[in-house]
Amino acid sequence: MNGICAITGCGVVCAAGSQVDEAWDGFESGRVRCAPAPEWLFSTGLSCPVFVCPREVLPAGSDGWLADGAVPPGASRTVRLAFAAAVQGLEQAGIAPDGLRGKKVGMVLGTTVGCTFHDEDYFVAWRSGKEPDLEPVRSFLGNNVAQALHRLFGTSGPAFVVTNACASATDAIGIAAQWVASGRCDIAIAGGADELSRVALNGFTSLMLTSDAPCRPYDRDRAGLNLGEGAGVLVLEPEKGAGSRAIGRVLGYGCAADAWHPTAPHPEGRGLAAALGQALKQAGVAAPSLINGHGTGTRANDQAETTALASVFGSAAIPLISTKGITGHTLGAAGGVEAVFTLESLRRGETFGSVGCRTPDPELPYAPLPEGERVPLRSRTGVSQSLAFGGTNSVLVMEAL
Amino acid sequence: MRRVGVVDAKTVALDCSEPDELARSLRRADDFIRLAVSAAWSVLDGVEREPLRTGIYVGTAFGPLETNFSSLATLLDDGEGQISPTLFSHSVFNVAAGYVARLFSILGPCLTITGYGWPFVAALTEAREAVAAGVVDLAVVVAAEVYSDLLRDAYCREFGVEHAPLSPGAAAWLLSAAGGVELAGVEVEDTPCPPALCLTRSDETFSGPGLEPVRQRHPMAHVEAMTRAVLAVKTPCRWEISASFGRAEIVFG
Repeated sequence: MNGICAITGCGVVCAAGSQVDEAWDGFESGRVRCAPAPEWLFSTGLSCPVFVCPREVLPAGSDGWLADGAVPPGASRTVRLAFAAAVQGLEQAGIAPDGLRGKKVGMVLGTTVGCTFHDEDYFVAWRSGKEPDLEPVRSFLGNNVAQALHRLFGTSGPAFVVTNACASATDAIGIAAQWVASGRCDIAIAGGADELSRVALNGFTSLMLTSDAPCRPYDRDRAGLNLGEGAGVLVLEPEKGAGSRAIGRVLGYGCAADAWHPTAPHPEGRGLAAALGQALKQAGVAAPSLINGHGTGTRANDQAETTALASVFGSAAIPLISTKGITGHTLGAAGGVEAVFTLESLRRGETFGSVGCRTPDPELPYAPLPEGERVPLRSRTGVSQSLAFGGTNSVLVMEAL
Repeated sequence: MRRVGVVDAKTVALDCSEPDELARSLRRADDFIRLAVSAAWSVLDGVEREPLRTGIYVGTAFGPLETNFSSLATLLDDGEGQISPTLFSHSVFNVAAGYVARLFSILGPCLTITGYGWPFVAALTEAREAVAAGVVDLAVVVAAEVYSDLLRDAYCREFGVEHAPLSPGAAAWLLSAAGGVELAGVEVEDTPCPPALCLTRSDETFSGPGLEPVRQRHPMAHVEAMTRAVLAVKTPCRWEISASFGRAEIVFG
């Protein structure tokens, strides 16, 4: 197998943990940290549970990474989450701040909430004819996650945000891997970040997609998803330069449209099957040892996803898991958070059943690994996949070293 | 890597009427979607394509910002849990790409890219790479902006002007592995700068054969200038766009 590029570091901040080891511990123990949205995050009358990161997400000692010595007060929670995960990844990669600033750095981050203007106070004042202070608009312009990370780190290079809804971070990693492989950048920081917002919580509730209980991906008694927040980031470098620092490789990436519906996936997972085919072909992998699915806990997702998997893998007993039972659905961050869980599973050679999946839905054409199961992995390659509003489907194939 | 050509390029304005055959499908669509779909239609209509070998790449700075505010207004006016499902689902940035994929039966890569510098050029970069690498044979690259009244008001107050040069508009280019003006390379590099500069674009410059100098300063100006010129460029040549927030280079073979 020829990798597209090496993975030299990874970082994650999510409700399961603010570091990779803590999040892994949450995965292993099946720890579920969800509750109604705390007042300090936003005020809501909705009681459906959400998965929230700690109030302060910046890691101790991160000041040395900041070009200006401090995070600007207007930096959004999404930007702070992304920065925290990126710092973890860079430290694992053994890259120093000065070394980073001397390189051509690619920044590709996925987000959804993180690129919208949700300052309710400003909007209320503005539409009532007042002239509110412009600081929220200035902050909005300064919070494009990719460009904001360049400013915080004091780096430059190609940068953009992928706004492919819930597949954004998976696409961001796939694109960044290609940038590194083609020499467009020396190193890439790629993944996704999203903060929880009152608007998103209300939006998913109005679409009748949220559950009043912890989500149950692939379970017969599923009742919907729980929103979450977080960030997951990979540090990508050319294989030759990474040398012994490499902890894994991106082997393949695929992206395909359903061309079906604004919010519902194609019932047979048409786009996902196509994206899987592209990614596996590029990777030269026929049967990975793990499928980290999108697994939101909605019937439409589970049906589409498992139909696509059955069409691609037949009856192969490749473990299918979802980590959303311990992270919630982190929207634009999901693909990044799940890429980190996938890589960690491959590195450790084992995985665990989907938390919340106690009675696997017998009608699903591809059987998931239920809660409480612990299985060794047969190889070091795995798949991380995402489905999104807009009918986008994206897949990564990764390998642990 | 394969040769990549620009086979068509068009701009559309907000007052363009969408194609009759798409009117029913666009009845719930907002201006952002209508602009993107109309732009895509202007370069795809009548073009033979293989659905799995066609990709859609959208570049936008602000996405469906007006619908974002309409969605927020329903939450504020109607109460929690009552946000309009249609408005909410149409406030997601990649909604336009999803419509284009659905209405034109595009089953290949479907990507929306956001940045305040040159998101269309960034989308062009990804589309060119996909055609060159053989991932797709045809790629429609769309730029669309609707801004919003809130943003226009903020612009006027922030910069002390009476009129914000932020008019809705869209453009589309069609890239192909067969024929067209050879697009030999596209590169964009971002440099940290004060965010407001991406809105005023006060030091943005365009240079290169056939490319008109900056006439108005707004996030779509470079797209309009490039779209007017691209099909008539004499190859080989290169264009350069630069500003405090970075530089972009488009090379024709």
